[in-house]
Amino acid sequence: MQTTENKGLLIFFYVCIAVFSVVCLVPFVLAVSGSLSTESRIAAEGYSFWPRGFTLETYQFLFGSKAEQILRAYSMSVLVTVLGTASAVLVTTAYAYVVSVKSFRFKNVLAFFAYFTMLFSGGTLPWYLLSTKYYHLDDKLIGLFVPYLLSVFLMFLMTNYFRSIPHEIVESAEIDGAGHMRIFFSIMIPLGRVGLVTISLFYALQFWNDFYLPLMLVSDQELYTIQYLMYNMMANIQFLASGNAAQVGGAIIAPPLETAKMAMTCLTVLPIAILYPFLQRFFVKGIIVGSVKG
Amino acid sequence: MTKKGWFSLLLATSFLLSACSQGNNESANGNNSSPGSASPSAENGTEAGSDLAPAKLKIVLYGDESNRMKELAKTEFYDVVKEEINAEVEFQFLPWTEYAGGKTDLMLSTGEDFATYTDSNYMVKSVAKGLYTDLTPYVDAAADLGKNVDEASFKAFQLGGKQYAIPVGNKPNSAEFYSVLVRQDLLEEVGMTEVTSLTQLEEFYDKTHAAHPELVGFAGTDARRMLLYDYTDKNLYWQNEFIALDEAAQDDQIISWFESEDFKNYANLMRGWYDKGIIPKYAATNTPQLQSDWNSGKAMIWSGTAARPFEGAATISQAVPDAKLVNYFLGEGRPKISRGTYSSAFFVSAAAKDPERYVMFFNLLQKNQELYDLFAYGIEGTDFTLDENGRLTKLTTDALIPDWLLMNKNFMRFDNTVPDDFIAEYKAWDDGAIISKGAGFNFDNTPVKNEETKLNGVFTEYMAPIGSGFVDYETAYPKALERLKSAGIDKYIAEYQKQFSEWYAGKQQ
Repeated sequence: MQTTENKGLLIFFYVCIAVFSVVCLVPFVLAVSGSLSTESRIAAEGYSFWPRGFTLETYQFLFGSKAEQILRAYSMSVLVTVLGTASAVLVTTAYAYVVSVKSFRFKNVLAFFAYFTMLFSGGTLPWYLLSTKYYHLDDKLIGLFVPYLLSVFLMFLMTNYFRSIPHEIVESAEIDGAGHMRIFFSIMIPLGRVGLVTISLFYALQFWNDFYLPLMLVSDQELYTIQYLMYNMMANIQFLASGNAAQVGGAIIAPPLETAKMAMTCLTVLPIAILYPFLQRFFVKGIIVGSVKG
Repeated sequence: MTKKGWFSLLLATSFLLSACSQGNNESANGNNSSPGSASPSAENGTEAGSDLAPAKLKIVLYGDESNRMKELAKTEFYDVVKEEINAEVEFQFLPWTEYAGGKTDLMLSTGEDFATYTDSNYMVKSVAKGLYTDLTPYVDAAADLGKNVDEASFKAFQLGGKQYAIPVGNKPNSAEFYSVLVRQDLLEEVGMTEVTSLTQLEEFYDKTHAAHPELVGFAGTDARRMLLYDYTDKNLYWQNEFIALDEAAQDDQIISWFESEDFKNYANLMRGWYDKGIIPKYAATNTPQLQSDWNSGKAMIWSGTAARPFEGAATISQAVPDAKLVNYFLGEGRPKISRGTYSSAFFVSAAAKDPERYVMFFNLLQKNQELYDLFAYGIEGTDFTLDENGRLTKLTTDALIPDWLLMNKNFMRFDNTVPDDFIAEYKAWDDGAIISKGAGFNFDNTPVKNEETKLNGVFTEYMAPIGSGFVDYETAYPKALERLKSAGIDKYIAEYQKQFSEWYAGKQQ
């Protein structure tokens, strides 16, 4: 009796999940098929699940004129993601550890400072001033990740994680003569591995998808990331097509518009899509563990 | 919270505030010092560069930076500018989304030292905030440019008698979009020779549609200028989407376009075009496709400008090698109207250390044929060749300093596919044209900023579809008008009229 009930419920859930995942999948399928279609047929007939008039023209257009640039931007993105994630995780866990140490007097003050920036921000202008005039982050590689080194939300997530580690372990280490460095690197980091992977994933996604920092701080093409390159191309194509170009100047170019957008989407999403299934278990685990113990 | 906590908070806040105010001071200082530093060398601006102290210039351009541009910026461009005006020039490219806003705004407000191009709307906004350098004392440094750019173009970038931007470009551009650009090859194919009226235009469409049903008619959604001869007796010229001037009347009256009878007649005409299929059905949702279709030779007509027959032919001929484009007006007897012959204008940020040197750089852009060739086309032999008639063959497709920006009829070169008679016609295009009576007027939108934002929303959502014939005037207009009223069109028009009348009266004196 109970098993059939369970079975029914299970089937129901599976159907729900299946429907949901199909809904999630549809845009991707449309993007891939759109990127492989001819521009004119997309315009005339709209998108479809199967490419309309299969062609690789759009990719040829993207790679043909910009192959070298795209490749460079790709490696820059990878570099920024790796460097950024590594340093962000280090900074975040260090801050989180300090805030989580029970005996530390100023832990609440530090926590409040971080929390304060969640509620109030100085705005774009002071931020830009600080980054360029004081920290001189413009046109430098570090400018592409340093401003994002501490995500307060992830820091608190990590703090909670550290707090969930039994205090007795830390105490016994202290009795054995371990300092904070030792405790942090030899106990907290290994025990907090799941949380670490979770925030790493969040950071990696953020660095990979970011085009705001290059837009604001970079003018040297060598430092363009793939997302910014795509943003740049799209912005210019759209401008040329909008007719404003005619008012400003009268430039005439015929870029493959809709299909180009789709091809760019595919190009930028691809690495994340490939990586995700392998890392997904950490994501789920991290959130579940956090929810039980947090 | 503990006392210490509050103390730290206070400390942090004061740091933050001081950081911000320091930035303000910096830009304010730049602002104050620049007019004061009007250097004594203003008179001898065109002298050789070696007499000048070294300077650094940053020129911001919008769009993609081509590889060739990147190379030249570090070599020939750099060397020439160094030699001519002893300045080290650096080019920075931004996406078009940052034009007149975005990062350009940030760079201006944070007191960066740079120059880039502007339009009059952005100029008015930025000058009100004190972000542009007043270039009046340095205009003499652009003496060579002054010979090749129209006097009226300079006036268009003056506010309160002060020159805030230096115009570049000089191209015949009267009656922009008032003519119909017709695919002459199709016209001849269906046995016609010319199009001089709406009736003939529709006849052309019918015949071509019968022969080539796959072609779209008009590759645009806005035909208010080219159809002018058929829906009104006035010689209308638009200040913006909402306001038009009648150039035939010698007065300061502005016309609220969407509330006029003319708009009604125009909308009905366009509805007819839409029903008939001259404007394709997809146009309502996919405007970019229109241009794409035109460029690939899949449309019969487009709005014309002086330069489009040869600018456009270059693109279309890839798809249709024997395509021929000709401009026609659908009526006659109304003078062509011009806003001025400039392409754009360069401003200098308020924080610039040496505004005069920037002006000297702008001067180089339009100084003589040699420099024009270099900046627009590159190096002869490497980037382009010239035949004995001075016709141009480009050896690279990479764009340098955008040629639409520099385009000057005194210097520009044509490739050898452009017939001589067309060049003659092009250069004479502006003959008999009048400068709009609104040219040089810049509306200060601060008092009606909210209204303007709302009106722009109403325009996109309600008025543009009516104007393009996507919806029927009779059924859609009452509601659209109601929205327009509640968005504050009356206040907006009244403010515009007030400012325009004041300015107009000042001009008459």
